[in-house]
Amino acid sequence: MREIVTVQVGSYANFIGSHFWNFQDELLGLADNPESDDIFNNHNLDMNVLYRSGETHQGIPTYTPRLVSVDFQGLLGSVSSRGTLYNEAPASPGCVSTWTGGVTTHSSEPLKKNLFLESLHLEDEAVGNTSSDSWKNGSRSEIQDKDIVECLENGVQYWTDFSKVHYHPQSLYELSGLWMDIEDFNNYGFGRDVFSGGLRGEEINERLRFFIEECDHAQGIQFVVDDTGGFSGVAGEFLENIADEYANIPVLLYRVSPDTSIDPKSRKQTISRNLHDVVSFSRLSALCKLVVPVGLPSLSRSRTSSFLRVEDEKPYHTSAVYASAIHSISLPFRMEQLGPSAQSSYTCGAMSVNDLVQILAGQSRQNIISILDVSMPAPSFTGYPAQQSLLENLQPLTPDVAEDAEDFQAVESMTVHGVYRAGRQRASITEVKDAVQAAYDNAVTRPKFSHLSVARCPLPVPLPFPSIFGNLIGQHGELLDTPISGPASRGSLEVHSIPMAARLRSSNAILPFLENRLGNLRKFGIARGALGTELLRNWGFGKDELEDIGETLSKMFTTLNPYSEESSDSD
Amino acid sequence: MSLRVLNPNAEVLNKSAALHMNINAAKGLQDVLKTNLGPKGTIKMLVGGAGDIKLTKDGNTLLKEMQIQNPTAIMIARTAVAQDDASGDGTTSTVLFIGELMKQSERYIDEGMHPRVLVDGFEIAKRATLQFLEKFKTPVVMGEEPDKEILKMVARTTLRTKLYEALADQLTDIVANAVLCIRKPEEPIDLFMVEIMHMRHKFDVDTRLVEGLVLDHGSRHPDMKRRAENCYILTCNVSLEYEKSEINAGFFYTNAEQREAMVAAERRSVDERVQKIIDLKNKVCTSNDNNFVVINQKGIDPPSLDFLAREGIIALRRAKRRNMERLVLACGGEAVNSVDDLNPDCLGWAGLVYEHVLGEEKYTFVENVKNPHSCTILIKGPNDHTIAQIKDAVRDGLRAVKNTIEDEAVVLGAGAFEVAARQYLVNEVKKSVQGRAQLGVEAFADALLVVPKTLAENSGLDTQDVIIALTGEHDKGNVVGLSQHTGEPIDPQMEGIFDNYSVKRQIINSGPVIASQLLLVDEVIRAGRNMRKPN
Repeated sequence: MREIVTVQVGSYANFIGSHFWNFQDELLGLADNPESDDIFNNHNLDMNVLYRSGETHQGIPTYTPRLVSVDFQGLLGSVSSRGTLYNEAPASPGCVSTWTGGVTTHSSEPLKKNLFLESLHLEDEAVGNTSSDSWKNGSRSEIQDKDIVECLENGVQYWTDFSKVHYHPQSLYELSGLWMDIEDFNNYGFGRDVFSGGLRGEEINERLRFFIEECDHAQGIQFVVDDTGGFSGVAGEFLENIADEYANIPVLLYRVSPDTSIDPKSRKQTISRNLHDVVSFSRLSALCKLVVPVGLPSLSRSRTSSFLRVEDEKPYHTSAVYASAIHSISLPFRMEQLGPSAQSSYTCGAMSVNDLVQILAGQSRQNIISILDVSMPAPSFTGYPAQQSLLENLQPLTPDVAEDAEDFQAVESMTVHGVYRAGRQRASITEVKDAVQAAYDNAVTRPKFSHLSVARCPLPVPLPFPSIFGNLIGQHGELLDTPISGPASRGSLEVHSIPMAARLRSSNAILPFLENRLGNLRKFGIARGALGTELLRNWGFGKDELEDIGETLSKMFTTLNPYSEESSDSD
Repeated sequence: MSLRVLNPNAEVLNKSAALHMNINAAKGLQDVLKTNLGPKGTIKMLVGGAGDIKLTKDGNTLLKEMQIQNPTAIMIARTAVAQDDASGDGTTSTVLFIGELMKQSERYIDEGMHPRVLVDGFEIAKRATLQFLEKFKTPVVMGEEPDKEILKMVARTTLRTKLYEALADQLTDIVANAVLCIRKPEEPIDLFMVEIMHMRHKFDVDTRLVEGLVLDHGSRHPDMKRRAENCYILTCNVSLEYEKSEINAGFFYTNAEQREAMVAAERRSVDERVQKIIDLKNKVCTSNDNNFVVINQKGIDPPSLDFLAREGIIALRRAKRRNMERLVLACGGEAVNSVDDLNPDCLGWAGLVYEHVLGEEKYTFVENVKNPHSCTILIKGPNDHTIAQIKDAVRDGLRAVKNTIEDEAVVLGAGAFEVAARQYLVNEVKKSVQGRAQLGVEAFADALLVVPKTLAENSGLDTQDVIIALTGEHDKGNVVGLSQHTGEPIDPQMEGIFDNYSVKRQIINSGPVIASQLLLVDEVIRAGRNMRKPN
């Protein structure tokens, strides 16, 4: 078996992760349910890649994500960091067995569970005592799905608010004892100190070891890091340990940032943010096999969301889009590895994390930065002219990407799943293959190499998914010609699944991204009398380190653009 | 004010307001931690918003759990936690001492005294107290065989402030023996060589010392033995799993056979490594009474496990890095990084290796080792918060024993030192000081009394009576501390109440430094911090 361990560091990473695991949970639920569509019953995806089986002290079997999540203390909302599966009999407060003297109890105001979590809780209890069926039916109907969706739309504060997944007690790690607000936890230096301070680093490593020890043969670590604050420092140190300890397990790093278009209030902050961005990017990318920067400055106005109605200021919304793309990318890792001649009618194009890394970064040009493109929903293959639209619909989720870069060395890996052909039928594997082939044949620029993975199973839309679909999207994610009347944004009640296409590509279209960061580093960090030198020193980066970082970045730059030596060095 | 011109949003507190802000913060923090001190303090149960329970009597843990916002309080808390990092105890005392210094100073400042004068007095008093501590401490000769009784007394003093008596006394032996086990002459003590492992199981009194090691994982093969005696232990850091070539190697093949061949070659090299281990096993295990255990830091994949299981070898994968060190110290032998030069000298030995399963958790015990230099304290408790609290207490106990060995000295506890130092300052040092700095010395001396006072208060005694009784005894020339039960003066030596010398020294050192800084603040400027998002 080829296990993947997922790591999520930072709040926004956890928002994305929460959606990601909701998809997985939905897939599991649909596969178990005989009433659901055939494509869900036979999705042919090996969920054991992401999940582990265990059992509680009472001997009850469990099935939980193989996940380590790191977040600030207090950001788990009303959910306990130990999860609910492995709960011992609840200890009554006031009964302390280790102290015979006085006891003072300090209770925080219990956080109220929102409607969604409340309904999950009731469901769990109902499963516990199935005998009281009448009671169950009564309570179930008390909470309407419609109200849940509305409640989530209006009031998601923590990522746990919309998570329907049971986590293992080792999964959720809280950083405590920092004595700072999350707003102040905003740079690489802080994060690094936090990881090394006390026993935190050791504890986090232990958590990861717990999951890796179980793996017979881990194929990779899927690492999502929120890159806007101190968490990248935490992740940096963590990755360093991983590289040390598990040198043979490739790390696929998603470096995510929520909406960054909000203007910082002061110049000082701008500098700090820009420098943090460079420093963390270069540090993190040095410690993984493939890095995918994710997070557009303004998702709602980007071309990615032409069919979506995303509200930029809600992380609940934006993270759903990114999570969908990450889900699509992760599909090939879970497909059955077949021999060259065997064929499955549900999936094709299986590969391991290592294969993906080989394809994208292991070729002649060793570029480890990949661009994430997504088409959500993927258009249907309805005939010749429309085939073009699949490639056109794939729009980047990676910031600062050149739009019409011409790169004859580009390498891509694409996953298409759940798409339609003409007549609202799910396209078969071969049809998709042919259509994609035809699309490439007709494209103006073609990549040097591309890998295609196809699955018939679309992205299931779980109940707690935000209402981000526009009114051109039908119930099964098909694109309509005429808008449906009714509310402008449609959610999980109206749309049940979505066909998706996502792609990772290694191309020189990423050059502006690198150029920006390199420029910022030089302007604020390295140049004589630069405004940020002092700041960087506080974070623990001396002049030498900065020059190293600069060098790494320009090396990445020249790999992709070998002819621009002068232009990149002249400023 | 000039700052207003520069930044109209800046908030400025003037001198007296700033000072009072600092004093109040220090007093506030003191109030929170006060009830923690001593064997009669109260334990704190913290219940989080999601119902999570934390149980603590440790100032350090409590400070970390509180989401402190006030900048002054954060400064004090950082000092106190640094105190804990450096010497393992004394967090509560540090906070109390700083708070009391501020409180005593407030009196004088309100009467119009300049903080500078007080601070000068603090400095004099601090130096004098440190000198006094040198005279006052009880030297302990360590030598080859440390006096175990004194170590136990120090450990007991600490543990009794964290756990109920019976449990504390049980842990006292465990903690003292653990440190003595890992102690090597002429080398600093590395407490990491004591593994602290926990099991959620039964009752806290089951906590015990394992001379050897407990690992939190087991073998991953159904055919491997769950219990074995007379075991050779191979500690290694060798990958025993099939890997694809490194990414940058970029291997190429043109047809399926070549690919198969590459894969087979890779597999073969793993198998060869496994075979070398098996060869070694066959060499040393000549009779049936001996067993062979491989503990690997890297992975072992199912085919390799199969191989090893067929040969009757027990194999554990992905052991903690630290356990590599601990294993070698516990069982002997050495940790090997390659199987190329394996020989019987690399092997360690353990009389008994067995597995214990609790739900999905597996534990492997490596016991009955010869002459161990590493050991495990196995904590058992009914629930997580109890385990966490015992763990904290054990850590503190270990530190206390370690400090004693390294300091080669202890200090009489139960407030004896504080009372003695105070009398020394008031009766002798103060007279030798010229001018108003005298008052600083006096404030410092009175602040020292916060420890006996709080101990008395937490025991429900009248603080005034207690202090008068204690100082009276001291002036007669007796060194006395406070009895928690009766409130009468007692001889801590007789009762076996000892504190760490280094902890005391650090409290005396760091307390006045922070207090002085806080007293000398004359303006607090809040600028640039109001950048938070509005809402």
